[in-house]
Amino acid sequence: MDERPHKSHRPSQSGGKHDKKEKAKGEKKQGFNEKAFAPKSGRRAEKQGRRTAEKDQTRLHVPLVDRTPDEEPPPVIIAIVGPAGVGKTTLLKSLVRRFTKQTLNEAKGPITVVSGKKRRLTFIECNNDLNSMTDIGKVADLVLLMIDGSYGFEMETFEFLNILQSHGFPKVIGILSHLDLIKKAATLKDTKKALKKRFWTEIYQGAKLFYLSGVINGRYPDTEIMNLSRFISVMNSSRTSKGKCDRTVTVYGYLRGTNLRLGNKVHIPGVGDLEMKSVTVLGDPCPLPNESSEKRRKLSEKKKLLIHAPMSDVGGVMYDKDAVYINVPGNFTRGNNEVYQGEGEQMVMDLQDVNSTLEDAVARSQIRLFGSSSKTLTVEPTREDDSDDEHDEEQGSDVEEEEDDWMLEEANTTGENTGRRGMRTVTRGLPTVGSTKPRGDIAYADSDSDLGGSDDEEEDGRRVRFGGEDEDRDIPSDEEGLEEEEDEDEEMSGVEEDVPKWKANLSQHAQQLSATSRKARRKDWTKLIYTTTLSPEQILDDAKEDRDGEGDDIENDEDDFFQIKTRATNVEAEVLDKTKDDIDEEELKKWEDEDMLDSLRRLFITGADVAAAEGGGEDGEGEGEDRFGAEYDSDNEEGDDEEGGDVPSSSTTLDPRAALAAKKEALKKKFDEHFAGIDAESRALVEGYRPGSYVRIELPNVPAELVENFDPTYPLIVGGLLPAEERFGYVQVRLKRHRWYAKTLKNNDPLILSLGWRRFQTIPTYSLDDHSIRMRMLKYTPEHMHCFATFYGPVALPNTGFCAFNSLAGSTPGFRVSATGVVLDVDRSVKIVKKIKLTGVPYKIFKNTAFVKDMFSTALEVAKFEGANVRTVSGIRGQVKKALPKPDGAFRATFEDKILKSDIVFLRAWYSVQPRKFYNPVTSLLLSNKSSWTGMRLTGAVRHEQKLNAPQNVNSTYKKIERAPRKFNPLVVPRKLQANLPYASKPKLMAAQRAPTYLQKRAVVMEPEEKKAVALLQQIRALRKDQVARRREKKGEKKEERKKKMRKEEERKEGRAKERKKEVMRIVGQKSRREEELAEGGGRSRKRTKT
Amino acid sequence: MATPTTLVHFSGHEHFRNRLVLSILSGRHVKIDKIRTDDKNPGLRDFEVSLLRLLEKVTNGTIIEISVTGTAILLKPGIIAGGPITHECPLSRSIGYFMEPIIMLAPFAKKAVNLTLKGITTDEHDLSADLLRTVTLPHLQLFGISDGLELRIKKRGAAPNGGGEVQFLCPIVKQVKTLNFVDPGKIKRIRGIAHAVRVNPQFSNRMIEASRSILNRYIPDIYLYSDVYKGEESGKSPGYALTLLAESTTTALHCAEAISEPGVLPEDIALKATRALLTELDKGGCADRKHQCLVLLMMVLGSEDVGRCRMGEPTAKTIQFLRDIKDFFATSFKIVPAEPSDPECKQLLYSCYGTGYVNANRTLA
Repeated sequence: MDERPHKSHRPSQSGGKHDKKEKAKGEKKQGFNEKAFAPKSGRRAEKQGRRTAEKDQTRLHVPLVDRTPDEEPPPVIIAIVGPAGVGKTTLLKSLVRRFTKQTLNEAKGPITVVSGKKRRLTFIECNNDLNSMTDIGKVADLVLLMIDGSYGFEMETFEFLNILQSHGFPKVIGILSHLDLIKKAATLKDTKKALKKRFWTEIYQGAKLFYLSGVINGRYPDTEIMNLSRFISVMNSSRTSKGKCDRTVTVYGYLRGTNLRLGNKVHIPGVGDLEMKSVTVLGDPCPLPNESSEKRRKLSEKKKLLIHAPMSDVGGVMYDKDAVYINVPGNFTRGNNEVYQGEGEQMVMDLQDVNSTLEDAVARSQIRLFGSSSKTLTVEPTREDDSDDEHDEEQGSDVEEEEDDWMLEEANTTGENTGRRGMRTVTRGLPTVGSTKPRGDIAYADSDSDLGGSDDEEEDGRRVRFGGEDEDRDIPSDEEGLEEEEDEDEEMSGVEEDVPKWKANLSQHAQQLSATSRKARRKDWTKLIYTTTLSPEQILDDAKEDRDGEGDDIENDEDDFFQIKTRATNVEAEVLDKTKDDIDEEELKKWEDEDMLDSLRRLFITGADVAAAEGGGEDGEGEGEDRFGAEYDSDNEEGDDEEGGDVPSSSTTLDPRAALAAKKEALKKKFDEHFAGIDAESRALVEGYRPGSYVRIELPNVPAELVENFDPTYPLIVGGLLPAEERFGYVQVRLKRHRWYAKTLKNNDPLILSLGWRRFQTIPTYSLDDHSIRMRMLKYTPEHMHCFATFYGPVALPNTGFCAFNSLAGSTPGFRVSATGVVLDVDRSVKIVKKIKLTGVPYKIFKNTAFVKDMFSTALEVAKFEGANVRTVSGIRGQVKKALPKPDGAFRATFEDKILKSDIVFLRAWYSVQPRKFYNPVTSLLLSNKSSWTGMRLTGAVRHEQKLNAPQNVNSTYKKIERAPRKFNPLVVPRKLQANLPYASKPKLMAAQRAPTYLQKRAVVMEPEEKKAVALLQQIRALRKDQVARRREKKGEKKEERKKKMRKEEERKEGRAKERKKEVMRIVGQKSRREEELAEGGGRSRKRTKT
Repeated sequence: MATPTTLVHFSGHEHFRNRLVLSILSGRHVKIDKIRTDDKNPGLRDFEVSLLRLLEKVTNGTIIEISVTGTAILLKPGIIAGGPITHECPLSRSIGYFMEPIIMLAPFAKKAVNLTLKGITTDEHDLSADLLRTVTLPHLQLFGISDGLELRIKKRGAAPNGGGEVQFLCPIVKQVKTLNFVDPGKIKRIRGIAHAVRVNPQFSNRMIEASRSILNRYIPDIYLYSDVYKGEESGKSPGYALTLLAESTTTALHCAEAISEPGVLPEDIALKATRALLTELDKGGCADRKHQCLVLLMMVLGSEDVGRCRMGEPTAKTIQFLRDIKDFFATSFKIVPAEPSDPECKQLLYSCYGTGYVNANRTLA
């Protein structure tokens, strides 16, 4: 019999049965009893409602505008973080292998791979240094947090999580490694469970945790890595909240966040604030597949080979703006000859062997003009620029010299035209990134305008270039344009020494202007305003002339110009800075004409719609102008749809959604059509450099140590600064000591803060709000409570989170994050006070008045405090009245009662405290040993190091207090008063009786009966005494016996216990002996040593 | 210790106010030299010094250094503090001169500004108190600064003796909104204020009559108020003026103003103001010509999106202002004809990418 599948049941889609079922469905729902969940009481119902409303509120978030561009987003940064020896590098290698099928021997620095058609990933391995963890925590989009499963959580993990919390939390995936070290299945299960529970409490309930079992071929198992990579690929990696610092770049790297604009400063954590000299968009070293190269829906396997790891051992070729670098194997000053070298590599190696410069060669070579000439031609010592050019030529050939050169440039900071200088940080120690044209060579150029151009040409001519295909990627016009502009700026600011040059330039401009204005009647306002040196009046006058159609020739123009100039300086001396223009009576005359008045009707709602008639034919040139604007629109629309709500716009009656979609579609189309025509440079001028583009940033005046001590394993982040963040001031923050930090924080102790992009050391002053009256200084941070801290440093926007450390050193025991908090306020002055008590002593006391001295030193000080409240130790309140002439600083004060001469009078006042102006950026990247940065130390630490004792104030030491017993004078009640007092209150003046009384000293003679009775009583007492004594004796005997018995018992017990112990020890000894034997036989110790 | 922020350097006394404002907003130091060096009376004028005093009051931590001759100043801006401030303006300029920079700064202060200015309320050089109240402040509303924004004219004071008093209240904002204003719309209403102090109150009615003789032909929605201040509130000098403003369907505002001159009839003053308004309307655009600088500044300070505004051709002041903005904020505008197809249309479309300026002075809770 063949196995045929049964026909599956198909429920009827229509008909009576269907209707019946539908009806039943609607009528009654099984399994939900509404009554059962109804609240029993009104109050409870209200409570429930409130709670659900509250829960709903927590779900709401302020919508954030996502400014990442859709078409070319920057790569997602995936940071691999964990303690040393946990398997970070192994994971990195495994992941790179998974995505690119390439095996890395050494993985250093960021590694960018293409993971999908619209997605790139940058892997960064974060070392165990606290500085690196802080920096990585600020930029990572996704963190792979590695935890040693066999050991558990370590301090670094918690520290890193705390850093993340204060700088905006990225997505975190936990990865448990070293699970193969746990042999027992049950233990493994328990460990996993426990770690997961802890991980969930740290991140959030249900956070993803991966388990990596063991290492095979130096990598983690492929299936596990594949699972992980799938998760990485689909992860929506937007940060849950982004910090204030919003622009990120690496020196050569992808822009992230929002647009980067020239003119703003940047900050490199670990280095400091730097100005950007130029930004150039370079060709993407790891481009996403575009329409033409990848037609399929999925990324093909071939494309997956793309990897950009400038500091790892991949590729070996690096493209710069105007050079290509080839990494050669081995030591780069002396190549190792064992490795096979290609022809190109050999050439580069040979170049390194040149020991003499071209200058030397020229000097050495002898040229005779004629065969018969006796003297050879000699080369004069060259001018500065010549030699510089030669340096330029040889760059890359001789390392030592190159380095020296660089140092020289650092020292020579006089020239303004600095030429171009490379940031040589990222090319694995290759010292020549970019051309290093030293400063000061530009002054010899013939004219300003040809400076930039010739400069470039020269370079192009001389530099040996490998391959020309990067030509189209960079924008060669950039440099020229910029430099020209700079020159013009200089002129504008009134540098007028070189008159002929200036004139020549002007006529050139005038020519250019007149030419353009004639060609296109419409003026290019952007150009006129930003790239010419014409004064505003000239621009406007020119506009008028144009309108009138007066075609002046160039000569005339020039003359005109000079006239205006002279007039401006002499005749029209006083030009008022006013808003209202003078009303030109002549121009107003035209409004006397009725026709003119009627011509304005179109502007009013009552007028006819002229605009509709006007719309029509499009101008060819106009379209070109519009391109950029149109493209702009699309940006805007995509950026914020909601934000435009307040702006009045003609609303369509169509379905708004459909209309919007149509609009977007149209804009997109326009954008696609005209994208090629846009001048990228002018676009960058207006909107800056977009995130996702790969740029090269030139930073002048970078400390030499950054290059000398560059280590690719430490991340180098370039963070853009807002204009406000460049300033310095007093920053008030709300701060809480971390509950895991063991010590309290002391006022005026230096603290290292990670705030915004910056890491710096500063001295905070802690304070608390005292009844909303004053900010009162605190000596120590309070326990389990927030307090305010005020410090001097770079301004950060309010609501920026930060975390603080007392020491960054890895050897610091315990938890290193000492405090966390948020910026509240930024100001230029602070109002923190501390209490001060001024003390004085009365030297003369009247009834309620006393003269007090030793509180002030001059009458002027007293005058300042007139009317101030004073108090004595015993609590008598008073007031400062007036200064006294005699002892300087003494004053008269009145009190509510008579005070004693022994009283101390004190005045409670508030003394304002200024936080110390101390700001010390953490320049860890400049050190050769990056983790050894030490800032200002505590006084105690310095003393400890120099073996000094704390100085002691003699007045503060505790001494034995010798107090003479106080003598009180006898109380004397006047006789007259005594007489009036009631008897009970009269002072008892009689002395106590000393002589024996009569009862004591009289003799007693007894009667016979009495005698008998007394004797009997005596006998009875004697009998009783004897009885008690005998009884006690007997009891003692019994006790002794019992004691003896007990001792015997004890001895027996002890003997038995001893024997038992002996037996146990014997067994233990045997066991340990057996184990020792076993260990000697083999079997690895699993004891790990933690660093 | 502190990295020195880059210094911006200017020469000449022109555009003094705008440069100071830009310096304070951007936080960059500014040095202005050659201030009237060739003049018979060199150096800063009294009103300029007074303005510096006012800025010192409004800000905290500002350091102003004036050279011995008064021909050069160095401004190291502090933070904009705001709060209650009173300032006595010199009689050489009206309070408009002082109000304009303050209006640009006030939204970014630490505390809401409550500024009382005393002096001349209306003169021929600067925006009068009426214009500030009815036109300038509504321009700020385009950028989301509206709640609690107010200018109260407590007393009027005509030149030369002044005696007027205004109170300016401005809320603080976190960030200004991006402007996208390209449709100028059509004029739907015209408003006006005719005021006369220490002269015959009939003057204002005469001005209104004269103005209506021209404007009535366009639209019916015209209200011209006659605003008479008496006694103590009318200042120390006689004077009168007519302020006109036109509002479009898209809330674009245009204004004009004319003030009394000796020997000129009030009717002529009214005609002058009306015709000036027509000239202004003819130039068109979405923002008034006198407020170009304010609008452009707020666009630059907007969030990091593209702001656009359609306006008439820039004035000389605006052109210099655009250049100064580039020096301070490194932001340049793209200026293209609003209607490329129409060669007669002289209106321009100004667009810029906002700097995302956030009010760093604001206190958190």
